[in-house]
This record gives sequence, C-alpha cells and structure tokens, in this order.
Amino acid sequence: MIEVVLADGAVSSYIPVMLLLTMAVTFGAFNVIASRLIGPRRDGGTKGQTYESGMAPIGTARKRFNVRFYLIAMVFLVFDIEIIFLYPWATTFPNLDPGSTNAQVWLFRILFFMATTVVAYIYGLRKGVFRFD
Amino acid sequence: MVGATLPISIVELLLSGAIAQSGHDAAGHAAAAASHAAPAAGSLGAVTGTLPQWTLLIPFLPLLGCVLCGVCAVLKIRNKLPALITVACLAGAFAATVGAYMQTVGGSGGGGGGGHHAQAAVVKAWDWISFHWRDNPSPSAAPDFVANFSFYVDSLTCLWMLFVTGLATLIGLYASEYMAGDLKTAGYARFYAAFCLFVFSMACLVMGDNLLLLYLGWEGVGLCSYLLIGYFYKKPSAVAAAKKAFIMNRIGDFGLSMGLMLTYVQFGTVEYAKLFPMVQGYLDLAQHGKMSEIPWMVQVIPVLFTLGAFGKSAQLPLYVWLPDAMEGPTPVSALIHAATMVTAGVYLVARFFPLYLCSEWALPIVAWGGALTALLAATIGMAQFDIKRIMAYSTVSQLGFMFAGLGVLGAVGGASHVFTHAFFKAMLFLSCGAVMHGFAGQLDLRKLSGVAWMPGWKIVTLAMFVGCLNLAGFPFITAGFWSKDMIIGDAMGNHGLQAIGWILLFTAGLTAYYTFRVFFRVFAGPVEYHPGDEVHAHADDHGHDHGHGEHAKGDETHDGSESRHASEHFHPHAPGWAINIVLLTLAIASFLIIPLVHPFGKAENTGDGHGHAAAFWSATMVGSSTAGVEPPHAEHAKFLGMTAHEGAMYASIAVGLLGIAVAFVLHYVGRRTAAVSKADAIRLGGVQTAAQHKWYVDELYHFLIVMPLRVLSHIFHAFDKLIVDGLVNLLGWMPRGAGHTVRRTQSGVMHDYALRMAGGVALIVLAIWFLNTPAGDGDDGDAQPPPAAHASVERAEGVEGVRP
Amino acid sequence: MTQALPSTMLAAVSMGEKFVAMWPEAFLFITTCVVMVLGLSKSLPVRRMCAPLAGVGLIGAGLIAAAMTPDTLCPLPSMAMYGKVLAAGIGLVLVCLLAGTVDRDFESDVERTGWFDVIRSKRAEFWAFFLFSLTGLMLTAGADDLILLFLALELTSLPTYVMVAISTRRDRSMEAGVKYFFLGALGAAMFLYGFAFIYGGTGHTGLQDIQREVRAQVDAGGINELTMLGLVLAVVGICFKIAAVPMHFYTPDVYQGSSASMAGYLAFVPKAAGFFAIMLVVSCAGWGFGESRAELPGMLRDVLWIIAVLTMTVGNVLALLQSSVKRILAYSSIAHSGYMLVGVIAGPGLDGRGGEFTRNGLAAVLFYLLSYGVMTVGAFAVLACLERRSRDGEIEEADHVADIRGLCKTHPVLGWIMVVSVVGLLGLPPLLGFFGKLPLFTSAISAGEIPLVVILAINSAIAAYYYLRLAYLCYIDPPETSPNLAPLRATPFGSRRVAGMLSAIGVVVLAVVGGKLADATVTAGRYIPPAGQTQQPERAADDDAPTPEHVVAPH
Repeated sequence: MIEVVLADGAVSSYIPVMLLLTMAVTFGAFNVIASRLIGPRRDGGTKGQTYESGMAPIGTARKRFNVRFYLIAMVFLVFDIEIIFLYPWATTFPNLDPGSTNAQVWLFRILFFMATTVVAYIYGLRKGVFRFD
Repeated sequence: MVGATLPISIVELLLSGAIAQSGHDAAGHAAAAASHAAPAAGSLGAVTGTLPQWTLLIPFLPLLGCVLCGVCAVLKIRNKLPALITVACLAGAFAATVGAYMQTVGGSGGGGGGGHHAQAAVVKAWDWISFHWRDNPSPSAAPDFVANFSFYVDSLTCLWMLFVTGLATLIGLYASEYMAGDLKTAGYARFYAAFCLFVFSMACLVMGDNLLLLYLGWEGVGLCSYLLIGYFYKKPSAVAAAKKAFIMNRIGDFGLSMGLMLTYVQFGTVEYAKLFPMVQGYLDLAQHGKMSEIPWMVQVIPVLFTLGAFGKSAQLPLYVWLPDAMEGPTPVSALIHAATMVTAGVYLVARFFPLYLCSEWALPIVAWGGALTALLAATIGMAQFDIKRIMAYSTVSQLGFMFAGLGVLGAVGGASHVFTHAFFKAMLFLSCGAVMHGFAGQLDLRKLSGVAWMPGWKIVTLAMFVGCLNLAGFPFITAGFWSKDMIIGDAMGNHGLQAIGWILLFTAGLTAYYTFRVFFRVFAGPVEYHPGDEVHAHADDHGHDHGHGEHAKGDETHDGSESRHASEHFHPHAPGWAINIVLLTLAIASFLIIPLVHPFGKAENTGDGHGHAAAFWSATMVGSSTAGVEPPHAEHAKFLGMTAHEGAMYASIAVGLLGIAVAFVLHYVGRRTAAVSKADAIRLGGVQTAAQHKWYVDELYHFLIVMPLRVLSHIFHAFDKLIVDGLVNLLGWMPRGAGHTVRRTQSGVMHDYALRMAGGVALIVLAIWFLNTPAGDGDDGDAQPPPAAHASVERAEGVEGVRP
Repeated sequence: MTQALPSTMLAAVSMGEKFVAMWPEAFLFITTCVVMVLGLSKSLPVRRMCAPLAGVGLIGAGLIAAAMTPDTLCPLPSMAMYGKVLAAGIGLVLVCLLAGTVDRDFESDVERTGWFDVIRSKRAEFWAFFLFSLTGLMLTAGADDLILLFLALELTSLPTYVMVAISTRRDRSMEAGVKYFFLGALGAAMFLYGFAFIYGGTGHTGLQDIQREVRAQVDAGGINELTMLGLVLAVVGICFKIAAVPMHFYTPDVYQGSSASMAGYLAFVPKAAGFFAIMLVVSCAGWGFGESRAELPGMLRDVLWIIAVLTMTVGNVLALLQSSVKRILAYSSIAHSGYMLVGVIAGPGLDGRGGEFTRNGLAAVLFYLLSYGVMTVGAFAVLACLERRSRDGEIEEADHVADIRGLCKTHPVLGWIMVVSVVGLLGLPPLLGFFGKLPLFTSAISAGEIPLVVILAINSAIAAYYYLRLAYLCYIDPPETSPNLAPLRATPFGSRRVAGMLSAIGVVVLAVVGGKLADATVTAGRYIPPAGQTQQPERAADDDAPTPEHVVAPH
C-alpha cells in the first residue's frame, strides 16, 4: 500500500560526490598500504629517537609556549575574512534601490560587521599583537 | 427567604450535575428524592448564609501561635513568652468563635427556639485540592475531585468550637504555671507549640467543610496527642503510652479513611454542602421504611466511620490507649484526653447523623458499643487507686454515655453531654493536676487524705467538689445531671433499646460511687500526705519532672503496708493564682451552663420524649445543624409509668444519691488513715483483682493480637532475609556487573573514542536500516498486500519506505 | 520594489527582518565586545568589571527576550523565547559559579610584581568566550534555518573547547580541552554531513521549507531516503552536544579535566543547545506518523529509541563504579540526556499543537532542561567551593568522594546544597527533579511508549544508588581527615557559594511555583504541523480515523 518512490535523479546527482569519496579513500588507503609494502624498514636505535639528528631531547614536550605567531595569524584572518565578506556585499549593494529601507538595512548590516572587526582589532591591540619586541 | 432559596437551587443544580457524572443507579433515587422533597427538606447541609472572612481566625490564630512558639523554641527563649502567645492566640480564637456564633445563630434572633433558624456558611481560605482525571476534560468542566481548605460553620460547629477554644484558653493559662518546672528546658516552648497545633488541628477537624479536611484534622490531633503524651520522652512508659495511643488510633483511622474513600466512590464528592443533599435522598427512603432500597455501600460507610470514632473516642474495643495516655502532662490530659479530642468521634457521628439513620446497623453498634464501654470502664474505675487513671476511666465511661445517647437517636442528649462533660471533666483533671503538682507527683488515693483542710487548697477543693457533683449527676443543680438524664431518658424512651437505658442507669450509680470515693479519700478525712517520687529531685523549687508514671504502675500491687513516711522537709506546694483562677472560672461556668442544657419544664408540656428538642439552647444548636433530622420510627416507650424522661430523671436521682451514700459510708465514715477504709474489709476475691487489673484486657490483646503477629513477623523476617534480600542483592549486583563490562570502553585514549564514536554511528545507521526495511514490508503486507510488482521493486532497489 | 531583486536577495531580505528577532543576541554580543576589551585593562577594578558586566548583559538579553516574544519561522516557533530566557537565567547562576576560574595565580603575581603581563592574562578571553557561547545557545534556540543552526551550535561549542583548556593550570585541563575539541569536531562533521544530506534530500535549508517538503514527499509516497539518512546523521551527530551514546565517551574525561565550575557549565550549556537543535531537526520530520498520527517516522523513532535506552543505561551503570564526584556527575549527565530523549520521542502529544503539560513531551524536555540545569549546577558549585593547596602548590578542587564525606558537619551550607541537589537529581517528590521527571513519564505513557517508560523507571532506580550514596556521604558519614592531604577549605570566591545556594533554593522553590513554569513550557513546546497535515482520504479510511482535533486546517 505504501508507495516507495525514488526521487528522480536523487541518487544519480550524487554520483560525483561518491566518485570523489571513493577516490579520496582509495588514495589514502593506497598510500598507506603502498608505503608499508614497498618502503624498506629499519627500526631501532637512533630511528626511535625524537630527533634523528642525534640530539637528545631536553625536558617535557607538554609545555606552554608563546603564541604570538598564532596571534599574528589570527589578526591576518580577521582582516582576510573581512575582505571576503566585503566583496560580495560590495558587488550587490549598487543594485539596491538607493535610499530604500532595504538599502539602509544592508548598510547597517555591513557597518555592524565592520564594527565587530574593529573590536577584534582593538582586542589585538590591547593584547599587544602589534608590539614586535 | 428569597436570598436563601437561590443558593439552594444552585446546590440542586450542582447535585444533578454530580449525579449525571457519578452514573450510579442509586443516585437516581437520590435525585428523585431530592426533587420531590425539594422546598422543605432538601436544604440538609446546604449553605444558607455567609460569614465574614475573619472566621478564618479561629483555625489560623492557633496556627500562628504554633509558629511563634516554634520560633521561641528556636531562639531558645526561656521565659513564659510562649504561654503568653498561646493564651493570647487562643483567646483571640475564642473571641472569633463567639463572633461566628453570633452571626450563625444570634443573627436570626435566637428567640422562638426554632429548629432551623441558624444558618450554615462556608468560609474559604484557599483552593486546596482540585483534580481532573477523566479523559479529555474540557477546561470548563467542574473538577472531578474538590477539597478546598475551607470551613463549614453551622450551629453544631459553633457548639464544638465554643468549648474547644474556650477550654483551650483556660487550660493554656493553667499550664503556664503547671509547666513552669520545664521553663529551663526547651520543653516549655515545645509544649505550647504542640498545644497550639492541637487546637488548629481540632479546628480543621470540626470546621472542615469536607471529609478530607476533617481527616487532616483527625490525623493532626492524633499527632499532637502522640507528641504530648510522649512529652516526657525520656521516660519509657510515656514513650510506650504515646506509641500505644498512636497505633490504636491508626486502627480507627483505617476505618475512617475507608469510609472517606467509599463516600467519594458512592457520592462523588466529599464536600458537606454537596454531600448532605444527596444523603437527604436516602434519608427520605429510610424515613419511609424502605431501608432495603438503600444500597449496601451507603449503609457500610457509617459503620466504617464508627470504627474511626471508636478509636479516637476510646470505645470498646479500642479504649485501652486512653488510660495510658495519662502519662502526658495533666493539662494535656484535661484538654485533649478528656474535653476535646476524644469527643471528635462523637462529633463525627453527630455530623453524619443523617447518614447513620440510613444504615440499619450503624446506630445499634454505636449504642451498644457506648453502653458496654460505659459499664466496663466504670467497673475498672471503681477498683483503681491512681486518681488520674480513675478520671481517665471515667472519661471512657462518659464517652460511652455520649455514644449510647447518639445510638438511641438522642443526638441532642449526646451533644449536650459532650458540652457539659468538657467543662466538669476538665475541671476534675485540673484539680487532680493541682494535687499532683502540689504533692510532688503523688496520685495514689491511699497516700493522700484531707487535702481540703490544708491551707491554700480551698479553691481546688471547691472545684473538685463541683466537678464530682457534676460527674455523679447530683440532681437539679448540676449541668451533668441534666445532660446525662437526657441520654438515659432517650434510651428508656427508645422501644428497642431499653436495655441500654438500664445499663446506663446502673453505670450512673457506679459513677457516683467511684467519683465520691476519690473525693472522700483525697479531700476529706484526716490530714495526711506522702509526697510522690519527685520530692528528692527538687527540695523546694517548683521544678519537677512528673515521674508519676512509673510508680503508678507499681502501686497497682501496692498493699498499703509499705507506707513510706513523708520526708521531714517536704511541704505541699499550694497552687498559685493561674491555677486558682482557671479552676474558679470553670466552677462558675459549670453552673452557668445549666440553663443551656436544661429544658426547664418545657419538655413536659409537649408530653413527648423528643418534644424538648425545640426548647432550649443545646437542642437548638444540634437541631439546626445536619444532626437535626427527625429520626424515623418515632415510637416512644413509657418508663415507670411516666414519660421516659421523667421516669429516667427520678430513677437517676435515686441511683446517683445511692452511689454517693455508699461512697460516704465506705470511704469517709470512720476512716482514720489515708490508706485504710471500710471498703478494704469487703473482699470480692477474684472479681476485685480482675477489676484492678483492668479485666486483663491489655493482657488479652497482647495474647490474641501481639503474640501471633510477633511469630508471624519472625517468619516474614526470615523470608525477607533469605529470599527477598537475596533477590534484591542480586538485582543490585547486576548493574554493577554491567558497569564493569562497559567500563572498558572508557579508555581515556582519544583516538579510541573517535573510533568508537564513528563505529557507533555506523552501527546505529546500519541497525536502523536492517531493522526497518523488512519490518516495513511485513507490516504493510499484513494489512493489505500490495501489488506484487511494487514489492519486488522495493526490495530490488532497497529503498526505505516510511509510513506516513 | 523587491520583485526586482534576485531570489537570493529576497532570502537575504528576510534574513534582515529576522535580525530584528535577534535583539537579545545582539545585545549580548555588544556586551561581549565590551567585556573582551575591558578585561585587558591594566587597572584591576576595571578588569574586575568583566563578570558583573556579563551578568548585566545576560539580564538585559533575558529581559529583551522575555519582552519580545519572538516567534520564529519554524515548526517549534515559540521555543526561541523560552530558550533565550532560560539561557539568560541559568547563565546568571553560571556567572556566579565561574567567578575566579581563571587568572587567580596570575592576579596574585600582578599584585606582587606590579607588572600586568597582558599575554598571560586570560580573564577577557574567558568571559568573552562565556558570553559568545551563551549567544550561540540563544541563537540555537531561535534558529529557523539549517545553516544558522549549524553556526549557532558551533558558536556554542567552539568557545567551550578553549574554556575547558584554560579552566585550570593543570595538564589535565589541556588534555581535556584537546580531547573535547577533536571529538567535538568529529561530532560537528557528523551532523554537518547530516545537514548536507537533508539539504540534498529536500532542496531547502529553512526548517519550515524542509518540513513542507518532507510533507510533500510523504504525500507522494514516502520520505526520501537521503532526507531520512540526513535526519538520522544529524541527530546522531548532535548527540555529541548532549553527551548521548555513542558520542558520550569524552564526557567523564572532559568533566574531570576541567574545573568544577567549568564542568557545571558544560553540563548545561552544550546540552541545552543540543536539545534545542535535536528538537528543531526532528520537528522537520514531525510527529505526524504512526497509527496515532502522533509519532515520529519509524526510522527516526527507532534511532532515538535506541540512543535513549543505551544512553540512560550506560550513564547510570557506569556512574555506579566511580570514585570521583565529577565523573559520577558526568555519567549522571549522560543518563539525564537519555531521560530527556524520551520526551523528544513522545513528542507534543495527540493534540498536535501540544495542549497539556503532562502529555507534551517537548514541554517535558524544556522543563527538564531547566530543572536539570539548576540541580547539576548546584552539585558542581559545591565542588567548586572546596579547595586545597596540593603538594605542588597548585589549587586543587574537591573531587574524590572522600572529599565530601561528612560535609554537612564540616561545611553545613555546602553539605545541604549537595544533598538537596543530588536528591533533586534523583527525582524525589517534593523537589524539582520529580516535577521534571513526572511529565517525561506521563507524556511517554500517553504516547504509548510503555517499554521506554519501564526502562526509564528501572534506570531511575539504578540511579538512586549513586545519588543516595552522595547524599549519604555528605549527611551521614563522619568527616574524614586524611593525613596525606591538606584539609579542604572554602574557596575565597563567595559568589560560587551564592550560585550553589541559588540552585538549592531553586530546587525547592521552583518545585512550588512550577505551575507557571509548566505553562511556559507548554507554550514553548508548541509544535506546528506542516500545512496540509490532513491525510489523504484513502489512508484516513484505512487506519484509525483521526479525530477532528488532529486534523489541522492549512493556514
């Protein structure tokens, strides 16, 4: 009584996805297996050390260290993403009816967005990101 | 009358609605009965007036007092503040009661003695319980079960609350001096907190407008009784007595709770204002002699109520807790175990008197139970030596009188006797308490004599004397005489139950004897005293811990030869102003209430045994309440050739005076010492010993009930230990075992977790897939086979179908 | 005018109008920005403004939410307001609880050296993340679109990863944070995958559109298998947020690794977000299936059924064996998720719009979220209030069961908070937990899920063992003084005690005034069936004919 219907093309349109998935899995598996099979293996001795150069590791690896580089990267991201968001907005905004409510909403929205990036900027400033000492 | 008819019609509307809901065929009778009896009698129990909201002060002032006393206990206040709070709150409640009484009865003029002039009102405090439980209730439908925290005030309620709050105020004042010995401990505030809580519970019991609130109060007074009997909780006998009282009462409460539930099952409501109009229907059947048409359930309910009433009011076979309850402080004995709480059973019967009339068995049970209890307790009381216990047995006996009065269709007599008894029995107890207080806990009548002649004991003696006269039923000048006479007269006038009249008459003689036995031995005669056990504890301060319980037990086997001489330095401690004022007030009040319960000759004018019901105050109070229904089969027997009441009056005058005379001869004439009197010369052998041992009823109960239960409990204990506990332990270990298994998955390693999460998701998705695919086909295939082609297509493509 | 715009822009315009419904979140966001900057000030009084400001922001957001009654465009339109007010309310208690979690030793260093090392300071970040996370929670409650839902969920979760890692100075916290982050990413991937499938199966991201499309598919014969797969994956993926089997593994490790105050936070905020999300996702399919027309579609129901049973059983059974109070509470958190899933399965009841409190499973879940939040925060607050200096000089909070032994005698207030909280969690009648659990039972019974109710009851009985053990330890056991450990002292942060007391009072008081709350949850748990819920005539004739109330006219 219950009719089971396969939507037209519902699966077939996913064939590229499946293909990609298969390729990804195959590629990963192939590399792992191949390196196991083909690569030569010489275990033990210096091979097991942290640094194969022969230098003995000092202290523990579980240690906190300065994250300033990450901070710089984050500041970059803040501005990078701002640009990414600004582009589509900038291309669309001229199409809006000037002075309409819609345009005002759009303007307000991007100003709000930019204000948040300004806050991020202030945060970075206070955190000392721009002090390269 | 216009104002009055409107609420009645509303009640009838509600009534018809309730009947439509309840769906019992019996309710059809009720509807029919209610419709043809509509204008005249359909108003039974109906709300006919209103009362101002300050009526709520009656229950809630004592509750406030309880809270404040509790605060005092927490703040460790060690002065008489709790007593002050209590007396103030209770006096306020009394004033409110008087106000409510004026509104209820006085508003209609009070004159004319008309039976149905007092109004009935419901004062609502708040919505308490309101349930829907039928399917798909519409929001506007009336709830299926309603019990509001509201109070039903009619004349019967007023009658009860007047003496409850009035006596509680006086006894609270008395206790402020009596309990002063406990001022240094937390006990004083604790005592008063429980005292106030008791009055609140009693108010709920008497004033509640539904059975559930009555039940709440019923349990509340039981709790307070337990707390106060066990007030000296360091004394094993007090703890045992408290436990005994509680357990005995539970048996009775079982009956009451069953009755409550059956009432709901049968009538679909527990609210008086809706319940009594339905009872009216059955009552009409009963009055027309159609007893067989009343469903058995209606007839069973009052029997169950009776069980509850007999437990609370200490009647056969549940009376044994009351004498032991004398372990509590004397003010408690006076208020709870003599004047008020024990009359709750009488109230229950009186309140549901119409329902009792609908039952063939309930009233005879009440009558015979009451009469036999009266006789039994009086015989025990004759042989006891502890004066407080004598008073306790006399209470049991007098309660028996009240039940017998109700049972022989004399609701007025029963209720009047409750009223008068409350006054004189409280007075007797308080007098005994004063003696006990002054003589360091001495209660043995063989060790005290001539108290009347000692300095400072005049008022106590006077009060005791007045109380004894009342209890003995001294003719004409005592209220007790008139109320007791009413009961005996009703019994004599009842054709089928004249035997009860004879029993009560005989008991009245015994009562006069044992009452004056106490008076002549303790208050009259040569001056002699031996202090009680508490003398060593405190030389001359007022503190004492009331250790009378233990030696009261020992005294039963005491033969009088071991007369320990009074300590040289002991001086009796005469009562102070608080005790004296209270006793004096009560003594005066006991005379003032005579006109309230006395027909003053109007009865004779009617020439009818029940004619006086419309004549005097207590009759009005009872007659205009739900108890004021005309009983069926009003055939009146003659007694001694006169109307039953006249005959009973002369007969009871004779037996009363005879009893006093016997006591005078045996216990006063020629008595030289406290211990020995002429009565000791009379040897009755086994009968006397058995009476001293309370007819071995406690031992009988122990053998018949406690022992088998104990054996059974050992068997159950073994079963419980071996099998039940074993099973439970097994069940307890199962989850732990499962835990140990599942625990291995919590390795703490992140990639294990990730693997398990992914695996879990895969498993679930697969499980669902396999679970649903065949199931979906199967289910739908059963219902109506789909075309074969479709099915095969489904399987081939493995497509999941979901039933909408 | 709008007709001139392309269709994507039309959608964007509706987004703009939607922004109006987000005033609470916007307010909270602005507060966050302020807090984030103020926390970096060199002046200690200014830095100390962070937590009070967060509280002000929450109060403001809560008031705005309560005033706006923002109905969203989704099958559960009224949940947003309840969710936002709930988030603000419990958030306020959490502000009290989280005081002093970070920067404690740092501040004493600052006092000693007089030098404020801005890089080492974590206060600003911590409180900003706290508010971000609550903003995410509010957004989740008000989400009406899969994309918004995903972003909101991640906004809720991402800050918590960091907060866990910095909640104590121990390596354990770092480990917990990392575990939480990676496993959380796995979970997020899972439900994002599910969202993608839902989009693939229906062609929409708006919840109401999806609901309409699913209805169309049902009318056409059956739910599309991609949609179904997407729903299942989404539900299972969100199970990470609510700590349900099979995504529960991280829970005890993370709770134990973070500070007690943070664990209390984790027990409520992500769980609430997860339940809002699950209810929203599930409501796309709707409770209009089965013979009674009030069940979930078979597969979805089975998934939730299996998850619920496994979750409550695993949580309770494992809690029996623990000796760490935090782990016990973590497993109890798992178990409670299982209980709440029962309400999701039961659904809004026969009357599709959810009429009565005792029959509306969604209302039961929403009520339970509140009661669970109050009770569990109380229990964690007790742990957060007790501390000792361990050998290495670090602050260590109470965790082992021996630490709370005899607490009612040594620290009476804390002891009683613990007793009230765990007895409430157990669900004993006078307390809030009972009134939370009761509608779960009744709604499941009225939905006909009797086996589930039986399992729920058995699990409640198992849970009694460890809850009563905690109460017993506090109340009856004598205090234990171990020679190896320094004695526990009360924490200097009085507001944590306030949080505990607020919770304990809530457990008692909310039970008394629960009627009003129940009404609020019934309103919040209102489910709008898709337009055209009326079944086709031939089907209605086959099955039990639906009674008129169940047929909702299209609107």
